[in-house]
Amino acid sequence: MNIPASAHLAVKLENVSKTFGKGDNAVPALRGVSMEIAPGRLVMLVGPSGCGKTTLVSVMSGVLNADDGLVEVFGHRWRDVSSDRRSRLRGELVGFVFQQFNLISTLTAAENVAVPLFIRGENRDVAMKLAFEALDNVGLKHRGNARPSQLSGGMQQRVAIARALVGNPALLVCDEPTAYLDARTGQLVMDLIHAASRSTDAAGRQRCVVVVTHDARIFHYADDIKEMEDGRLKTEVSHFVAEEAKWIPNYEDPNAKPTK
Amino acid sequence: MLRVALKMLLGDKSKYLSLVFGLGFAVLLISQQGAIFLGLMLRATGPLQNVSQPDLWVTDPYVKWISETRNLSDADLNRVRSVSGVAWAEPFFNVRATCELANGNFRTVNIVGISAVTLVGQPPEITVGRLEDLRVADAVFIEESARSKLNDPQIGDELKLNDRRGVVVGFCRAKSGFDSPALIYTTYENAINFVPLGRNTLSYVLVGVKPEIDILDVQQRINQLPDLAAFTPKEMQWKTVGFIMRETGIGINFGITVLLGFIVGLVVSASIFYQFTIENMRNFAVFKAMGARAPTLIGMVLLQAVVVGLIGFGIGIGATGLFTLAGRKPGVELAAYFPWQLMIGAFVAMLICVMAGSLLSLQRVLRLEPAVVFK
Repeated sequence: MNIPASAHLAVKLENVSKTFGKGDNAVPALRGVSMEIAPGRLVMLVGPSGCGKTTLVSVMSGVLNADDGLVEVFGHRWRDVSSDRRSRLRGELVGFVFQQFNLISTLTAAENVAVPLFIRGENRDVAMKLAFEALDNVGLKHRGNARPSQLSGGMQQRVAIARALVGNPALLVCDEPTAYLDARTGQLVMDLIHAASRSTDAAGRQRCVVVVTHDARIFHYADDIKEMEDGRLKTEVSHFVAEEAKWIPNYEDPNAKPTK
Repeated sequence: MLRVALKMLLGDKSKYLSLVFGLGFAVLLISQQGAIFLGLMLRATGPLQNVSQPDLWVTDPYVKWISETRNLSDADLNRVRSVSGVAWAEPFFNVRATCELANGNFRTVNIVGISAVTLVGQPPEITVGRLEDLRVADAVFIEESARSKLNDPQIGDELKLNDRRGVVVGFCRAKSGFDSPALIYTTYENAINFVPLGRNTLSYVLVGVKPEIDILDVQQRINQLPDLAAFTPKEMQWKTVGFIMRETGIGINFGITVLLGFIVGLVVSASIFYQFTIENMRNFAVFKAMGARAPTLIGMVLLQAVVVGLIGFGIGIGATGLFTLAGRKPGVELAAYFPWQLMIGAFVAMLICVMAGSLLSLQRVLRLEPAVVFK
């Protein structure tokens, strides 16, 4: 894949707007959002429900078109490429971790992990080998032949992380990755996501991770926290968010106080 | 991704089984009812298939189908013989009679009277006896499938046909007509003895045309004779099929069943397949988000449709084949004729069903916004 010369930023958003519906039913989801994220950073998007976090990552990852503004990921502008090229580019550049895992129930864990490689047209044997390696990285190689229904929620999310990372994407987008998990499992999952932000993609670029979350227990993993409200980015995060981000919960000892 | 598509399909067992059996049932209805319809049409033209020698069948111009005639006289036979280009013309008798059975019951039989001299119009296959024995006074051959209907008579046994004596001299195999009467072969002379009809005793005059003469020319010449009409076997066949279709309501009745089969197949398979796709919409959105392009998704949906279609088709056609085989057992009156053209027709109907379902599904999949994965 050609890496544009301007790819010094992982994500660049300029005055991005998105409105759902028309006329009286129009609901503005993003109102002129601008943001820059450097490679190698783990950024969390926080804010109340309906503030536009998910719309922002949808636009950022190229699964949704912005109405206005510029969206650039590692130098690629989504609006400048055809729909077909965008699909291909998205498959190469972006990995996804979803709140509801979105694993295919009729496939095994390893097959689920291999799906992005199948989409790229990778040979099945190679894809399955890489899938088992990716499962090994999240500690689930031994469950590669299990169906999602045979795995716990935490295991399913780790499979989803393996699936997101198997193609070595430059941008990892995670939507509420710990929402359905208990605190201890959420920490395990966040450890994996954090580790991903410290690694590089297939082209040797430092990976960028964007996490949408409500879960204050994981704020401390962030290199940077962006807070949204009414479709806009707040210039400064609120006191509550800033304070929560300072504390690291101790899951080994529930009675122990969190540490700074 | 095609393998993934198959796993998605086969993994959802209840939907998969509903789909293949829904389609299988539709194909069964279409092909089996079609086969019975064709079988009945074939059976209706049975008397025509039994007689292979003539080039033309001459009869009353108003005859509507093979089994219903207004009889001709011996004079008509001679008029036909005098037509230029006619090599031979032989009488053919095809009239119902009542056969009294030893147990007091009776059976309506079809007396087929053929020329004693040339034996033109003879049954296609003799199973027991010698055909020449028909020339003996009162001699009859009984068609094999009629034996059980007539209390299993043996060679030398006597039959009471319209209160006259008939002697069994052999058995033969021939196709019965539309209403499957018991067939009894005899000579023309014996036949008019069993069924006295007065002056007009000929059902048909069977005509052979001289080798170098065009059959159509001879047909035209016969048609110019008053009160006579000549038909080629093909024309007689279509006349018979047309009559059955128009006058008996069989065409419309079977047509409705076949149409119902098609509608059931269309509605069941299209709706279940559409439902199956809708339930997998989230998975398709995930594929789209991960970079799957339209050709990949189209390939996946079409493969799923074709697989359920082919399996459903196999089940339906297999069941129809079993029905057809069962109908060939001796004593079974199921008229089923299952030519390859009918199989192609059922295949096309199945394709339309699954294509309708997959097109409905595809337009949803292709319009799907991958952003729904975040909802």
